[in-house]
Amino acid sequence: VITRRRSRRDDALEAELRDHLERLSADYVREGATAAEARRRARLAFGGEAVTEACRDERGGHWVETLGREVRLAVRGLLAARTFTVMALLILMLGIGATTTIYSVVDAVVLRGLPFPHADRLVAISEMDSTQPGNAAPQNFFMWRERQTSFRDIAAVAYGGTILPGDGVNEPERLNGEQVTANFFDVLGVMPLVGAPFSAANEVDGNARVAVISYGLWQRRFGGAPDVVGRRLPNQLGDFRIVGVMPPGFSYPVGARDSSDVWTPLVISASGHVRGHDYSYYLQVIARLRDGVSVTAAQTELSGMADRLRTEAPAWYRPVLVQPLHAFVTGPARRWMWLLLGAVICLLLVACVNLAVLMLVRTSARNHELGIRAALGASRRDLARAVVIEALVLSLAGAGLGIGFAWLGGGVLRAALPADVPRAAAIAVDGRVLAVTMLVALVTGVLFSLAPVWQIACQVMPAIRTRGQGRTSGTEQHRLRGALIVAQVALAAVLVIGAGLFVASFVRVSRIDLGVDTRDVLTVRMRPLVGPWNVRVARRDYPDRLQDVLAQARAISGVEAAALVAGGLPFRGDLRTAAFGVPGRALGPNTEIDLNQVSPDYFRVLRVPLRRGRPFTDADRAGAEPVVILNAAAAGTYFPDGDPIGRMVDFQGPRRVVGVIGNIRHDGPETAWRREGFVPFAQSQMPAATIVLRISRPIGEVLPPLKAAIRGQFPDLALPDIEMLGDYLRSLTAWRRASMLVLGLFGVLGLSMAATGIYGVMAYTVVQRTPEIGVRLAIGASPSAILREVLGRAGRQLTRGLAIGLVAAWGVSQLAARFLFQMTPHDPVVYAGAFLVLLVAGLGAALGPARRASRVDPLIALRLE
Amino acid sequence: MPPSSRSDIPQGTLDLLILRVAALGPIHGYAIAQRLQQVSRDVLQVQQGTLYPALHRLERRGLLAAEWKASDTGRDAKFYRLTSKGRVQLKTETDSWSQLIEAIGLVLLDPAEPK
Repeated sequence: VITRRRSRRDDALEAELRDHLERLSADYVREGATAAEARRRARLAFGGEAVTEACRDERGGHWVETLGREVRLAVRGLLAARTFTVMALLILMLGIGATTTIYSVVDAVVLRGLPFPHADRLVAISEMDSTQPGNAAPQNFFMWRERQTSFRDIAAVAYGGTILPGDGVNEPERLNGEQVTANFFDVLGVMPLVGAPFSAANEVDGNARVAVISYGLWQRRFGGAPDVVGRRLPNQLGDFRIVGVMPPGFSYPVGARDSSDVWTPLVISASGHVRGHDYSYYLQVIARLRDGVSVTAAQTELSGMADRLRTEAPAWYRPVLVQPLHAFVTGPARRWMWLLLGAVICLLLVACVNLAVLMLVRTSARNHELGIRAALGASRRDLARAVVIEALVLSLAGAGLGIGFAWLGGGVLRAALPADVPRAAAIAVDGRVLAVTMLVALVTGVLFSLAPVWQIACQVMPAIRTRGQGRTSGTEQHRLRGALIVAQVALAAVLVIGAGLFVASFVRVSRIDLGVDTRDVLTVRMRPLVGPWNVRVARRDYPDRLQDVLAQARAISGVEAAALVAGGLPFRGDLRTAAFGVPGRALGPNTEIDLNQVSPDYFRVLRVPLRRGRPFTDADRAGAEPVVILNAAAAGTYFPDGDPIGRMVDFQGPRRVVGVIGNIRHDGPETAWRREGFVPFAQSQMPAATIVLRISRPIGEVLPPLKAAIRGQFPDLALPDIEMLGDYLRSLTAWRRASMLVLGLFGVLGLSMAATGIYGVMAYTVVQRTPEIGVRLAIGASPSAILREVLGRAGRQLTRGLAIGLVAAWGVSQLAARFLFQMTPHDPVVYAGAFLVLLVAGLGAALGPARRASRVDPLIALRLE
Repeated sequence: MPPSSRSDIPQGTLDLLILRVAALGPIHGYAIAQRLQQVSRDVLQVQQGTLYPALHRLERRGLLAAEWKASDTGRDAKFYRLTSKGRVQLKTETDSWSQLIEAIGLVLLDPAEPK
């Protein structure tokens, strides 16, 4: 189309000029010339092809046509400079790829809005639990609901997961779910696709066995049957009736990796309606603001209620926080995401500067070519445009590679992310991310072409030389290249220090004494269905059945030791506490310690050291004297003056202390010791437990016989939680590992890019100065002096960049302070280490060119003249 | 009258002259050149190499509009005419040109005698 249009325009131009020519020759004929003579004189007077060209220039070429030509030219030039192109594409791929990867995560987790209509009007209301926003007590929820005027409606959510038994076709299945007030759907603004939500009338005992299920559950359990409404959904909580199915994509908690499948009415027991002694904070409260009411106004109103509570019922006072639901959902992950984004932008800048350096070197090396083009009539603007287009061609090609990188890297990063990162399921390289990538590529291209363009602008157009290099190059260029190297080293220093801080924190966390040996410990949670229909049987039979599973498990070859635990297995977030007292001592009201029911070998399996007394034995059974083992923290707190062995305590009834064991960091390496009490499993009537096994053979050999043993006793049991104890631990530090990997990778990339940049500039400078060096060597300079001088130049630029980088890192690292573990963001070892690493890498990169400079053969160098 | 000498058109004024000629009515390139030469009594010589680029430039800037019409030779020729934008431009440039001439005149006719 373009070519046809151009030819039509050219035809017209030709016709116009021919017309002129003919009129001119007609005039000559009129003056008396012969026809041939007239045509010759006319053509002579006219000026020929140059006129056509000049007209075309004035008319201005079609921009697509010009662009196409420039792009073809750029591609041809890039293909010719293969080393440069490969280097540049590699850097771009890493820079843009890393940016795309991180952005795809940040976008999904933080930036995207919530999938509800008018989601900006949704808020979450929390009661502060010391410094953290926590759940609300039902008493306070009712108070808000009654008195508030800020919200259109206010709903409460409590955890309500359950287990579906196997039904012959389907395996038993554990479901996530919520118990919600009936207005929950209305507040979010999403109604069931099929059926209807339940009503407030269902929020009472006896009327509450109705459920709204997810689209996913409808499809997989009911085959999408249209008559699903009214069907039964027997589960651990009772025999429910399905009243509705939510549309596909509906997910609450918003974007959780394991989103919910059932929503049932929230029934709040009588004790939750009165301000008695039931201080249970377990409700998530969400609300939709009335039109025109701001979050701040709602906050003021609820804070006012809280303040009144402070005088009326001080025990119930907690500060209230009203925040947009989006902020609530993204929560603590937000800061972490900003950190990653900041780091990747830093890396992208390093890549930009690095490319600017490479482009500058290339442009200088192209002086010859640019000179010829200038001599042939290209304006400075044309040359600058050529450079910019080359940069854009490069960066777009780099973006293409980067997207491939992100596609792979995104998968790796997603797998490395901790499970509690909100909305991680939505991470994808989609149109939105691609648009940002393209934008980044364009900005990158423009940024890194700035330096060479500036150079072209400042430079007096080089005369055509026979060779691409002269004896000297302008001080301007020198200074510009020097400044870029300094900037690059400074940015790389920030990245390396950031990486150092996170790696050091991770190392510190890994070295923390957890109090248990997590290696080779397999854990299988056995939580049989217990409901009103079988609770009596469960209490009577299940403890014995669990003991039977344990006995069978012990016999499996590859199992070194096995034990049962109920209450709190470390690292899994399980926790149960119970009132604790010492007769004759006042410990203060509401003194509670952790309650764990364990079978005798538990401490052997976890390798928890016994400090005093004895472990449990099989003799500590029901009917024998009730006993308890305390951990060191509990023993030290409640028996600070002496030996607790043999003393009596009140802990699930009176018990004699028989042992003290070492402390366990129950909630992971970054938490304090808890005060814990252990009682024999056989002295409690627990219908559920986790079996823990220390294994000496691969899990695949141990698991089948173990599962068979469990199935033998509990045919209906869902076994969703089969995991090595170390895996639970790793999930607790997953975000730390992910940060360390990401920032560590960025540090390495930043470092290599800086080294590449230094190498490129030094190598180029040395080539450029070869004749000069040759002369100096010829008149007696020693090679080692040359070596020192080149290294010295690199060293000066390095130290200047490092100085700036260290100061910048000193300031910026404050932002990362909260992510560090047992260290300040100004850790001297990290800073010194980063300094040394960069210095060595930088000098190492300069060493090659420096050695080449010192080995210049004067004769050859002079012949280059 | 034979020309005493021939002058190239001062830079920047060709556009003004073309606009002035085109203001008289649609006219093709060759006629513009002829007209400039005649009116200036052969003093102003316009080279085709400058004329046509200038015409295209003025057309691109929207000061001239062009159309192909049958001409006296029987063939189609490209006729240029002034646009309203071109008319405004002609007015302002003519004014500033007159001012310039006047100013130059004042300086040259300074009664103080050159030594």
